[in-house]
Amino acid sequence: MIDSIVSARQLGKTIKDRTILRDISVDVTPGNVVGVIGKNGAGKTTLLEILLGFSPPTSGNSALFGHDSFTLPASVKAKIGFVPQQEELVNPITGTQLLLLTASLHRHWNPSLTSTLSEAWEIPLTRPIQTLSAGERQKLSTLLALGHEPELLVLDEPAASLDPIARRQFLQQILEIAAAQTRTVLFSTHIVSDLERVANQIWIIRHGTLVWQGDLDALKESVVRLNIHARQPLPASLGVSNVLSCRVEGPHATAVVSRWDGLPARDLEQRLNANVEVENLSLEDIFVELHS
Amino acid sequence: MDKRSTQSAPRIFTLQPSSGIPIYRQLIDQVRRMVASGQLMHGTELPSVREVAAEYTVNPTTISKAYGLLEGEGLLQRNRGKPMTIAGVRRNQGARPQRLKHLEAQIDALALAAVQLDLQAADLIGLIRKKMGEGS
Repeated sequence: MIDSIVSARQLGKTIKDRTILRDISVDVTPGNVVGVIGKNGAGKTTLLEILLGFSPPTSGNSALFGHDSFTLPASVKAKIGFVPQQEELVNPITGTQLLLLTASLHRHWNPSLTSTLSEAWEIPLTRPIQTLSAGERQKLSTLLALGHEPELLVLDEPAASLDPIARRQFLQQILEIAAAQTRTVLFSTHIVSDLERVANQIWIIRHGTLVWQGDLDALKESVVRLNIHARQPLPASLGVSNVLSCRVEGPHATAVVSRWDGLPARDLEQRLNANVEVENLSLEDIFVELHS
Repeated sequence: MDKRSTQSAPRIFTLQPSSGIPIYRQLIDQVRRMVASGQLMHGTELPSVREVAAEYTVNPTTISKAYGLLEGEGLLQRNRGKPMTIAGVRRNQGARPQRLKHLEAQIDALALAAVQLDLQAADLIGLIRKKMGEGS
């Protein structure tokens, strides 16, 4: 699996008696934009930190570009860009000074990219960083992670304090990276609608476990809501497999099914003598259903 | 980056990322319908995968999947170094049952709504004829 940019096997993390992550195995190949979603405290940040080698797993192992995450050589670190949830910018200097400083730490740096972006994102680079707003700081933090044109860009809640225009510009930038097809983006967010736009792969984390990992399109095609209406009372058990949630009340029933085969519901209609409407669900609905 | 200043062509698709229908399916359905209705004619150039991804702020993978599948269907033609174009009208674009199959989802939805409204097929047929300009 040399092709994998990110590769983890059976990762587990326990702090004291608390299990944060359990049995997580993932692979990410170049050109993918992976969106990580989960409730607060589901383990998103911990997972990203372990993958990046900031914190060791309790069990299992993880590698970036084929090197163990915890002992990455400098040549591999140079290929990674990271935007933490809480930006850690040095306060008393200006954005321009910080950009120069960051550029000097990298062998490769694209100053025209950072100047184009700082203009487009309206980052006031001449002001001391402590005078910037939360959104401006987040944009600057993102800019610093993009300047060396990393092959792997990891972002933890990158868009949380951005206004809608800034968020859209940021998403456009991620798509520019994705369009190169050789670079990879891994980002966690609460903003499901952003994921639906830019991610092609989704990881859904629930209580430290990955409940879905794979294609966003496939997820949308496989999780559906069946709205069932009959003239006679329906049986309490509908005899449908892979049910996530189900409610039956007299002649009406609603069931959410994972791994739906995509076929029309004719068999089910005949068996139940009912009308079955197959409804596709948005990612937000799917996310809620996976937590019901 | 912000592309507004450089984009000139109007949008030809309506893509809703937060719909339950995957984006590539939305795109396929729209191209099929626009070709069927003559809104997209033989030789019409389609925007590149990259252009669609940037214009609609959606992942390019799902767009290239749609284009690939449409090409496989014979609806789109790939041209080396040039934009993809709508393929020539194929007189025998599959037998009638195959062409009807494209409408299956719409027919399912229509049939379901009709049953819920307690309508018969005969009630619909006249309306469909009229809409399709076939008189009654």
